[in-house]
Order: sequence, then C-alpha cells, then structure tokens
Amino acid sequence: MSRFLFVVPPLTGHVHPASAVAAELAARGHRVAWAGQPDALARLLGPGAEVHPCAGPPDIADRPRDLRGAAALRYLWQDFLAPLARAMAPGVTAAVREFGPDLIFADQQTVAGALVAERLAVPFVTSCTTSAELSGSLSGLPRVAEWISSLLAGLRAELGAPGARHDPRYSPLQTLVFSTEELVGPGPRDAGPLHFVGPALGRRPALPAFDWDWVGRSGERRLVLVTLGTANTGLGGRFLAACVSAVRDRSDRMRAVVADPAGALPAASRHRDGDVLVRTAVPQPDLLAMADAVVCHAGHNTVTEALWHGVPLVVAPIRDDQPAIAAQVTGAGAGVRIRFARADAACVGAALDRVLDDGSHAAAARRVRASFRAAGGAPAAAARLQELAHDEEEQPCQQHPEVP
Amino acid sequence: MNTSQGTAGGAPAPPDERTVLGEVAQMIAGVLDDDTGTDTDASADIGADIGMDTTLGDDLEMESIDLVALSARLEEWYGPRVNLAEYLAGLELDEIIELTVGRIVAHVRSALAEGS
Repeated sequence: MSRFLFVVPPLTGHVHPASAVAAELAARGHRVAWAGQPDALARLLGPGAEVHPCAGPPDIADRPRDLRGAAALRYLWQDFLAPLARAMAPGVTAAVREFGPDLIFADQQTVAGALVAERLAVPFVTSCTTSAELSGSLSGLPRVAEWISSLLAGLRAELGAPGARHDPRYSPLQTLVFSTEELVGPGPRDAGPLHFVGPALGRRPALPAFDWDWVGRSGERRLVLVTLGTANTGLGGRFLAACVSAVRDRSDRMRAVVADPAGALPAASRHRDGDVLVRTAVPQPDLLAMADAVVCHAGHNTVTEALWHGVPLVVAPIRDDQPAIAAQVTGAGAGVRIRFARADAACVGAALDRVLDDGSHAAAARRVRASFRAAGGAPAAAARLQELAHDEEEQPCQQHPEVP
Repeated sequence: MNTSQGTAGGAPAPPDERTVLGEVAQMIAGVLDDDTGTDTDASADIGADIGMDTTLGDDLEMESIDLVALSARLEEWYGPRVNLAEYLAGLELDEIIELTVGRIVAHVRSALAEGS
C-alpha cells in the first residue's frame, strides 16, 4: 500500500481527471488524500474524500471578463497561479507532514505542489490535465516564455528548494498527460519524461433527471451539443444565441441541446420546442455518446470527452489554454475553428454544416478516439503512479535536496 | 487594388502607410476568418474596422497562434525581408499586450525600405 497526496487547483477540469485516477488507486488498495480548497473539493469530490485544506486565491471567475490573449496569460500567471501557489504552500506543507505521502501527484498549474515537494524531498509526478503547455504555443514568443520562467524562479526562491534546476511545471520523474500524441504532438523536448495516458473519464454524480424523451425524438436529424464548459459561464449569451439561431435555421436536419449554466441566453432564445433544448446542467458524457457534433470553447475536458466518443467539433476558443487546444483539434483534422467574439449564426451554421456533412472531420475524430482508447486512461495513470511509488520506496531518488 | 507587391521589380520608394495598412488589415481579416470557408457579414466587416491604433490583443482578440499565421501571410505577400516572427521574438510580454496594427505597419515599411 502506498500513500498519494493529490495537489489540485479549485478548477473543475483539473479535479475531474485526478479524481478518476484517485478512484483507481483506491480500488488497488492505496490511500489517497487531497490538498486544495476545501469548499471546491467537497463539491467536486463528494463526501468521503480526505481533504487537507489549503487557502485559496481570489476566484478565477472574478477576473476581468474582457481579458484575452497575452493579457489573459499575464493575468493567469501573475494574478491567479502565482497567488494560488503562495496561498496553497502552507496547506500543502502541513498536508505532507500530517499525511506522509510516498508520492505527490501535483497539478501542473498548482505550482505549490511541485515546489513544496522539492523542498521537503518528496518525489512528485506532474498531472497535466490540459495539454496546452505541451503545444509550444509560445515558441514564437521567447520573451513571454522567459517571463513565465522568471516568475516561476521567484516562486521557487520563496517556496521551493533554491538549488533545484528543473522546470516546476514538469517533474523530472514523470509527467502524466491526459491526452495522446495523436492530438497534442510529441511535446517539448526539455519537458522531462512524458507519459500519455489519454483522458481519465471517471464517474460523475448522476443528474436527478434529464429530458431523455426529447433527445430520443431526434429521428433522422443530427444531434448537436452546445456547451461553453464550467469556467466561462457568464460570457456566452451572444455566442449561445448565435448557435441557437444557426440550429433553428437548419431544423430540417439538426437539433441541439444547449448547456447554459448561468442563464446567459436571452429569454427569446430559450423557449423549448422540438429543435432546441436549453438546460442549466446537462449529462455531458451521456449526451456525447449520442451526439453527431459538438460546439464548444475548446476546453481540454470537453474536447477530450467529445473525441473519446469520436464526435467532431466546432471550436470557439475564448482564452487561456483554449486557443492551443483548438489548434490541436484543427491540426488533427477533427474540427473547425470559429471566432468566439465575432461568430454569428451564419458562421456557426457554416461550421456545423462542414463538420456534419464532410465526413473527414468525423473520420479524424474517430482516429483520435482510437488513440485515446488505446492509451489506457485512469487505470494506466494509476498503474504508473503505483509503479513509481514502489520504485521510490525501493530506491529513493536523490534529486530532491533536503532543506533543513 | 493599389498594391506594394513586387517593389523589388524596379519601384524605388517603399509603399506609403495607407497602402500597407490596407494590405495588413486584409491579411489580419484573412487570419481571423480562417476556418469556415464562407464570407459571412461579420468577417467582411473586420478589415474595414482596422486602423493604426487597433490593438491585436484587446481589439482583435488575436492569440499567439494567430500572430504566427499573420507572420506567414506577411512573408508570403512582401517576401522574406518582412520577418514579423523575428520582430515578435524580440518583444516583451507587455509589448505584445499593447501591440497595435500601426506597429506592424511601421515594421513592414521599415523592412521594405531597408531592403530597397
């Protein structure tokens, strides 16, 4: 039996895959504890999880809504991830002392996990729940990459082992990537050892009720799922309305389920009929198994869940990792990119026509699906963590300097 | 269209700012309208709205991958003398956040002037 401490940010898309891996480890008789924000983890993990509380930074949902591109990147690192690392480090340190993990599984963006691990000389593995860092989207902007590196060096001086040399976003031992090379590409050469396990799709709490009758009445018409994920809920009114219009204009051949958790859609677009069903929460994995196309923001989890079912995508990235993930989708040929800020009903409709009528996108999506299903998912991730924890017990690695 | 292409073929003066702005604006509109293969009203309007003070980030919501695509289009149009990729590689994060169409136009004009 080994003991694993999972260090995660309060972000749904980062906790879900880790949770699937934790369930696999528990099924193999290992013990898993969590370090993170207790409220977020209680909501995402349910009761019964052992949570060591960490302080949280300001909510990412509070950031200025109009930030995009490089300005969003500066905000993400300077105003969210760096304060998150500082806020979490004391809680992570206490968790390590109380729980005594053999191995830490630290989310790539929760730098406190990697830095406390190196300071306390506990081996850690990186959990890469969004593969955008691997896509080299900053390769043409070396000074931006340097800016992030110097921010990380500052955090290491405060929280980590000052003598350490590796990039804290990549464990020198192992990084588990919840995607495959077919979608991401090979990844940067200096990233340390990468292991691609594909998406880790655990069980989600079942929704109390859903309009499966409505879904079942699709007949010959194609079913489209429209979702902007969980982190962009207030932004989407105009875009969702364009999607609704596009589908209504094509109601002879398609219909859509639209996720609108924040009620961002104008009332006029929300009325229920046989063509469009709007819900605040949808059983996404089950719907994806039946969908013919997905319109989404190119969040890593939504994209990998869609491709797990071989469903082609229309991607409208908003910010952060989404443009890079959208580029992975179009690079693989599994979808079409449109502009979130500008796309009107004609544009969404043209994109939907392309992915639904041109079989090449569906064929490419099925190729990615094959790679995902071969990669092993949460069980493969758990097996690798188990192996590494065992190796560390046999032969502790020497790369983590002990600091008195 | 008044074009600056082919200045190497004997036209001595580098193109004026207005000409280059029009060409760069068209290329930006092309980058922003890459995937649907249809000319929708929304995309046709982009080019007309672009001016020297338009920012690539805040106003046009271009991402780093869009800048790479724009670099390729500029080089294809003006030739290898215009190397936006190299120019971008020298910019700090704050400069990229503030990057305007005007700075790209100035970069194109100075690169063409140097080469002629």
